[in-house]
Amino acid sequence: MADAPPGGAALDWNGPSAPPRRNGELVFETLWESRLFGATMALHEAGLFAWDEFRDRLIAEISSFERAHGARDEGFRYYACWLAAFERLAAEKGLCSAEDLEARIARLRSRPPGHDHERSTP
Amino acid sequence: MHGFGPVAVEPDEPVFHAPWEGRVLAMLFQAVGFGWTNIDAFRHAIERMNPVAYLTVGYYGRWLESLERVLVEAGVLAPGEVDARLEGRRPPPAPLPESLPHPVSGYERTADVPPRFAPGQPVRARNLNPAGHTRLARYLRGKRGVIHRVHGAFVFPDTNAHGRGEHAQHLYGVRFDAGELWGADAEPSAAVHVDLFEDYLEPA
Amino acid sequence: MSDHAHDDPITRRDALRAEALESILVEKGVVRPEVIDAIVRRYEQDIGPMNGAKAIARAWTDPAYRQRLLVDAWRAIAELGVPTGPEIAPLVVVENTAAVHNVVVCTLCSCYPGSLLGLPPSWYKSPSYRARVVREPRTVLREMGLEVPPRVEIRVWDSSAEVRYMVLPERPAGSEGWPEERLAALVTRDAMIGVARPEPARLAHG
Repeated sequence: MADAPPGGAALDWNGPSAPPRRNGELVFETLWESRLFGATMALHEAGLFAWDEFRDRLIAEISSFERAHGARDEGFRYYACWLAAFERLAAEKGLCSAEDLEARIARLRSRPPGHDHERSTP
Repeated sequence: MHGFGPVAVEPDEPVFHAPWEGRVLAMLFQAVGFGWTNIDAFRHAIERMNPVAYLTVGYYGRWLESLERVLVEAGVLAPGEVDARLEGRRPPPAPLPESLPHPVSGYERTADVPPRFAPGQPVRARNLNPAGHTRLARYLRGKRGVIHRVHGAFVFPDTNAHGRGEHAQHLYGVRFDAGELWGADAEPSAAVHVDLFEDYLEPA
Repeated sequence: MSDHAHDDPITRRDALRAEALESILVEKGVVRPEVIDAIVRRYEQDIGPMNGAKAIARAWTDPAYRQRLLVDAWRAIAELGVPTGPEIAPLVVVENTAAVHNVVVCTLCSCYPGSLLGLPPSWYKSPSYRARVVREPRTVLREMGLEVPPRVEIRVWDSSAEVRYMVLPERPAGSEGWPEERLAALVTRDAMIGVARPEPARLAHG
């Protein structure tokens, strides 16, 4: 993890990324984050990987961001790090190769406009 | 992250297609809770399944078969005991092994050797610079602290997360004064308590 | 909640990737969408700071329970019927006193006792909190609205390994004689992380 820059990045307590500090905030801000989280937990609970295997890759993604940007919040996207870590782990476990993923992305991208964003239609 | 963990088992969990699936889940939770198996062993059992069976028995079928395997390996079930019961033969249930481990956390283990360090002992975090994966944060390297707690032995993530074995070792709570970590910039009256594996530490 | 709430191209790209990944895993039979649904529902509805608050409120009213909570946290929490499951990360509860204020962080990623507090808030996961609270805790807490007097030691607990930490805050003055449910309502997630005090007794209703 990169050392904090001198003086440190100002904490964004009141900006758009700062949810209220009581318990009333949303657990997940977007649908895709919630499903990514759920998929990761589901596979872990099914015994497909030890939590350390995922955590280690998450730490590596976060660390990679901070090496490039310093310990600043601007541009930091926690679930982007999670997604990258999970993709890497899924590929290493033979669950979803990078090639298969790219092919599926291309296919989904070529869906006609007006398709249902909320669920992936097989 | 691991601390997000425990999953509540609810009797009317809607994701089961049949009651037996829910019972398999509940049995797994109990088996882990009693310390008869752990998630890693269960995972390995799934990985060792016959590939055809893996693909044909379905999600909870895989769990059922793997659960039986780990319980046989733990000595809770005798080999073939479940088959014998299904065939109507009811030999007396095999006795439980004399010493079952007590309920433990998923990563807790028994180490081969006693702890190297003791509470109150000064230690230094080593100046490790591994190519990747370590839980020794950079801000601690080379810094001097004091052991305040011996947590017990745990799986070592630096190796375990990459298929290089568990290397279970003792985990310590170490206290570092702010002045030691940050020098002249340190705030007064502050300290950081960090959990560090034995491999990260040397006597100070 | 929708994917259109964050409509920049980068987020849309990630949403598409996540959708593609899920669809492949579902097709392969590795995961079922209903299982994902159930997990998300659980974290949105069943797992949250009310679990931790129960233990704090009991500790405030029962000194023997308080000791059990400090010595063997999971065993004490199990007494309250809080649901646990197959993987129990070791938990240590650390108490605030007149001499010591505790605060929790995971400098490496985002670990904390999720089964008792729910999922961590965005600021807890932010690079700035994770880097600065170990370095200048008093300043960070002040920025978050919590003033800790200079004579009080601040202990920052960095959850770098498997052990998870939760803070047992000091009981608010004026809450003497309150029943546990009313006390639990004063205990916020942020107080159990250590970046806030519990709600003051005089402001609560009922």
